[in-house]
Parts: sequence; structure tokens; C-alpha cells
Amino acid sequence: MTLENSSGSKSIWSIPQAFLRRELLPVLTDLRLAILLFLAIAVFSVTGTVIEQGQSVPFYQTNYPEHPALFGFLTWKVVLLLGLDHVYRAWWFLALLILFGTSLAACTFTRQFPALKAARRWKFYDQPRQFQKLALSAELDTGSLSSLTPLLQKKKYLVFQEEDKLYARKGIIGRIGPIVVHVGIVLILAGSIWGAMTGFLAQEMVPSGESFKVHNIIEAGPWATPQIPKDWSLLVNRFWIDYTPAGGIDQFYSDMSVLDNQGKEVKHKKIFVNEPLRYRGVTFYQTDWGLSAVRVQLNKSPVLELPMAKLNSKGQGRIWGTWIPTKPDLSEGVSLLAKDLQGMLLLYDAEGKLVTTLRPGMSTEVNGVTLKIVEVVGSTGLQIKADPGIPIVYTGFTLLMLGVMMSYVSHSQVWALQKDGHFYVGGRTNRAQVAFEREVLDILDQLTSQPKVEVSETPAEAIAT
Amino acid sequence: MNLITLQNWLDNISFAVLFATMLIYWVGAAFPRLRYLPTLGTTGMVIANLSIATLLTARWIEAGYFPLSNLYESLFFLAWGVTTVHLIAENNSGSRLVGVATSPVAMAITAFATLTLPSEMQLSAPLVPALKSNWLMMHVSVMMLSYSALMVGSLLAIAFLVVTRGKNVELHGSSIGNGGYRQNGYRLNRATDLVTSPQPASIEQPAKVSLVESNGKAKTAVLDVVTTPVATVAAQSTQQALSPQRLNLADTLDNISYRIIGLGFPLLTIGIIAGGVWANEAWGSYWSWDPKETWALITWLVFAAYLHARITKGWQGRRPAILASAGFVVVWVCYLGVNLLGKGLHSYGWFF
Repeated sequence: MTLENSSGSKSIWSIPQAFLRRELLPVLTDLRLAILLFLAIAVFSVTGTVIEQGQSVPFYQTNYPEHPALFGFLTWKVVLLLGLDHVYRAWWFLALLILFGTSLAACTFTRQFPALKAARRWKFYDQPRQFQKLALSAELDTGSLSSLTPLLQKKKYLVFQEEDKLYARKGIIGRIGPIVVHVGIVLILAGSIWGAMTGFLAQEMVPSGESFKVHNIIEAGPWATPQIPKDWSLLVNRFWIDYTPAGGIDQFYSDMSVLDNQGKEVKHKKIFVNEPLRYRGVTFYQTDWGLSAVRVQLNKSPVLELPMAKLNSKGQGRIWGTWIPTKPDLSEGVSLLAKDLQGMLLLYDAEGKLVTTLRPGMSTEVNGVTLKIVEVVGSTGLQIKADPGIPIVYTGFTLLMLGVMMSYVSHSQVWALQKDGHFYVGGRTNRAQVAFEREVLDILDQLTSQPKVEVSETPAEAIAT
Repeated sequence: MNLITLQNWLDNISFAVLFATMLIYWVGAAFPRLRYLPTLGTTGMVIANLSIATLLTARWIEAGYFPLSNLYESLFFLAWGVTTVHLIAENNSGSRLVGVATSPVAMAITAFATLTLPSEMQLSAPLVPALKSNWLMMHVSVMMLSYSALMVGSLLAIAFLVVTRGKNVELHGSSIGNGGYRQNGYRLNRATDLVTSPQPASIEQPAKVSLVESNGKAKTAVLDVVTTPVATVAAQSTQQALSPQRLNLADTLDNISYRIIGLGFPLLTIGIIAGGVWANEAWGSYWSWDPKETWALITWLVFAAYLHARITKGWQGRRPAILASAGFVVVWVCYLGVNLLGKGLHSYGWFF
């Protein structure tokens, strides 16, 4: 950390800069801080999986009472004060993530680039004593640089030679990998921030056959307005469910059309879970379903559509119901219950007694009229989302994956020197010590061309084959 | 042959074989002189690995999709992964201690799947809509492989802690580049001191003899080789030829543990990202802090901390290994514990 560089023009920034360099940077790039951050983020993430997230205040009042307080301190007041009811959105958690990203970026510049530079700026060993500090080194009576070079090349080493000195290396990609990892993570963090600022999330429940515009916005960033569709709308042509022979749900389908200002279709797609519709940066996902109405016919009346309401079943499955009048003055009627699009419909009279069960398409006699169930109309539950941060995040994902794979490679270096009738060979590696030891011993063996000394060395290999 | 009968046979066989293998490894550790025992143990692992592979293949044929749809199948896939990674680790390290640590875990997994799980949960069930995607195979299989690798890696770290218990060790195998330097006679001393001041009295030794000797001993001896035979040969003259300084058992265990975790970590990263991309394609959010996701991230963070602890000055040795051992528990919480909560996106086809 030098101070000479800002000799002449001392601005008001030089003091904070010097502070940044001398005090903050060493702390920020300290590996122990990185480890601390990893573990801190991990521990706080755990709290978010243990304490229920995003519940109502009464929920926390019931589950985290003041007397007796959980662990002696964890009351609902503490939970709400610290934001433990929404850990992953709490300011301190996000601050931790930003500190993590900053430390990561700083580390890349102060540690990783210098380390890579040092790895690329190798030098020959020209003194036998330089080999003494290498664990894997040997002094041989036989062998020469010319016999060593092909052995190293066969093992994919990049060989440099100068007179009687040799340097060989491989796996320098293993030094680049960690840098790529850090860049990838910084991109993911940046992309998710950008997405949170410019994206939105909406949910719509749309009856089969109706058109809609995106209105029910759940979350939107401060700069999300341009993403929200204004001059186009959507039409759900049909929503249906395929069932397995056993009666379970096989798949949900929505046949969707994108309509422009004039109501003209500009795109058509059948969506299902795992197969969304995309249009102008907005994606429509099939995520939920419900029953919206039942179409019935009384005697010879026209087909009437009666809306169905979801009933509170206290988490025990999902039931929808409606009331069908059987007299024109609405003084008598029956209740109709349904739990899916194709199953049985249950018909109850005013006393709550089961009258009969029906399927769509069937009819029955109730209160002196013929009631025909024409069909049950489903509604599709759509999740609607725009996230302009996705390209950045995906780039980060790609780099992160490449980086972690590159980081597996061990950077191995071999030196050799011919001097005063002796032949010195030595090497080291930064990750795969065991494999490298085997490699070097193999090379040394071949150099001295002893008749297979290594037979007893690897009993496990003999076992495994 | 009837696939269901075959499966019933195979899961019982794998359990029985793994149980026997575990006993063989343990007896082998107690009586290192019985030379055929490690061979027998490895054979047991290979048999178990192949029968589990056959079991999973049979289910794949039977159900028509990749057999990772319920807990039973996922447990067997995990056991297959553990035995596979065990074979890699054992082959690379040449230490019979690997099996002492891995075989009980593989045995326990198969025992749980075969004996404890109710039989209706052992049947393959149709996939729920959310899982009908090619991403299922990509995401889940990579995650399971990473769990297996991380488990075996942490088990080796635990074995390392047992071998070096009561000692303050510093090792070669760090990834910052201070590995590979020669140390003085007693191998487990501070590496950093010796880089600057090598002690010529103890680093030289007769070349060919010690090479052969150490090859034999360091690789096959079990619990008593924390000090290497190489290092105890104190040579007198600096004129004697330089010879390679071999890794000892602790070094080897530590490095193999590091390499196996180093293999599991990219797999975990790829698995999490595959899950994120899948989630984004399926319902528009690559990260939703679902408990399973969060625990996968926690696992990732713990092992990232481990990898960074290894390159921290003065932390080489037992401290990273303790982190890796903690990682073993975290992997299990991530794999099974989260499902005890019974909520979130990953509760399909599970129980409790």
C-alpha cells in the first residue's frame, strides 16, 4: 500500500482514499472475513427456514409469546423488530450480501490477479539448492533434459527449455477458475438487484374463454413501469386438465392468445406447467387452477352460467360451491359442490341433505324441475413475470459453472536442471498433491528406467482392477 | 424376469452386501495384517454398486422415466453415488480407511430404504405435473451426485481428524500454492517456517532405498504412520542425493478429502443452478428462498468456507477439516431434514 502515487495534487478525496486503501481494503480482502461472511449468511439463512416467513402479526404473537419466551429472548417483538419474519428481505441480510459481493470483487483485484500474474511469471531454477525446498524433488545420476521433455509432453505439460534448464507447467486454467467464479457471483448479485428494480410479478385467475389485461401486480420494482403490458392483452381460449387413469392430475393446459390493440391475435400457444408463454419480455406461467362457474339448464331454459365460489375447507383439499335456484322467485334451490373439473358434482337440498351426485352432461329431477349440468368452467391460475435482470444472471450462472469446473484443475509445475554432472528434477502443485506425487514418481521412474519399482506403491489400484 | 421381483432381490442384496462390507472394513482396520481384507472390502463395494445400478435401471425400464421420483429411489441413487465416489477415493488414496468411514453410511442408507420405508413408498409412482420436465434428470441427478461426493469428502475429513487427533498439524495440500514444499524430518510441522529455512541435515537421504520403502509403507500401513518412514532416516551428509519426500497417511487423507469435496462442489453449483434455471423456466423465478433451496445454498456456503479456509494462512490442517465434518451434517439436513418441514416446492413424493 503505497502513498507516493498522489504526490502533487492532493484533493479532499486523498484522505478517504488512503483510509480505504490502508484500513478498509485489507479487512475487506481478508480471507477470514470471507469465511465469516459465508458462515454468517449461512446461519441467517437457517433462521429463515426455521422461523415461518411472511406470516401475519397475530401468527407470531401466538407462536412466539412473551411468556415464556423461546430460548429466553425470542419473542414476537424480537422477531418483528429484527425482521426475522422476512429474513431474506431484511435490510441487514441484503447489506450482508452486498458486503459479500464487495469483498469478492475486491479480492479478485488484490489477490487473484496478482496470484495469476505470479503463476504466469515463472522462472527457471539454476541452483541445485532451489530444488531442496521442493518436497517432490530428486537428484538423479541418469536421465537428461532431452529424455525428460517427451515424458512431460506426454503428460500434457507445456515445456520451456533454455540451455540446461527446464520449466514445465500445466493446469494454469486452475488459477483462472477462481477469478471466473468471483466474476460470475458478482454478476448474479448485480443481475438480481437489476431484476428487482426493473421487474414485476403479477398473478391472475382467468376463467376459461375470457380475455384479460395484467392488473393484479403483486410486486414491482421502482423502474418496472415500462415492462408492464399496456397496449396488448391476452385471451384464454380454453383451460383444461388431463387426468391419469387413477384419477390424479396429469397436466394443466391453457390455450392462450396474445391480442393487440385491435383485438387481433398476434401469438398463439398452449401452455402447461414447465412450458410458459413469452411475449415482449413478459412470461406467463401455468401455476394454479380453480373452478369459476357452472353452466346449467333448467327444464327448457337457455344455458345459465352461475359463478362458483371457493369454500373455506381449512386446508383439507379444495372445494367450490354455488347455489342453483329451482323457482323463478328464488324461494327454493339446491347447493352444488365440486372439487375438480371432471369428477362428481354433489347436489344438496335446503336442509343440507345429499340429493344426488351428477357428472357434467347428466341431468336430474329436483324440486319438480329437470336440472342439467352442461359443464363446469375452469379458470386458469397464471403467474406473470418480467425480469430484465435474467440475461445478466444467466451470464453469471454460466461463468460460475465454468469457473468452479476450471477451479478443480490443479496447477502443476516441474523444474529441471543439469549441472556438474547431476540431474535435478522437482515439482509442486497447488491442489492434487496425491495425483501429482504419483505423476512425478512415475516420471522419475521412467527417467531412471528402473524395472518397475512402483509395483508395491499402489496396492489399491491392483485391488480395484 | 419379473422386474418387481428382481428389484426386491436387488435391494436386499445390496443391503446385505454393504453390511458385510462394513464389517470387513472394520475388521480390516482392527487387524491390518490381514492383507486380503481390503481386497474383499473393495469387491463388496463393487458388488453393491453394481446391484444398485441394476436396481435403478430396472426401475427406469419399469416406470419409463429416470428413477428419482420418490424417497426410495433417491436413497438408492445416493447409495450408488456414495459407493461410486468411495471407489474413486479408495483408488486414488490407496487407504483402506476410506471404507471404514464410507461403508457404514452406504449401509445405513440402503438399510433405511429397504427396511424402514413402508412398502407402498417403495413402489414407483407417476410424476406430478411440476416434475414432468427434462430438467428433472439434469437437476436431481447432479444434486444427488454432489451430495454423495460431499458426503464421502466430509467422511474422509472426519477420518483425517481421527487420525490426527491430539496433534496440531499443518499440511501440504492447500490450494494457494504453499503446498509442495519440503519440510523437516517430522512431516507435520509448520510448512511456512521451512520454506525459508530448510534444514539440510534431515532432508537428504539415500535415494533409491527410501523411495521403495516408503512406497510400500506409506500406502498400506493404516493407523500408525503419521510419521513417515522416509523422514526418520536422518542422513548425515549434505552431499547425498536429493530424493522425493512422500506424503504420509494424514496428508493423503486430507488431500483426497479435499479433491473429493472439490469434485462435489462444482456438482453442487451446477445442480443448484440447473434447479434455478428450471424454476425460472417453469414458474418464473430462479430463486424463491424455498427451504430446500436455502439449505442447498447453506451447504454451498459451508463448503465454500471450507475451500477458503484451506487457503487461509495458518489455518491448514484440522480447522478446515472440522468445517468439512460439519458439512456432513449440513448435507444430510439439506437432503432429508428439510423434508421434515414438509413444505415448499420440494415436498413431492416424500413422506412424514
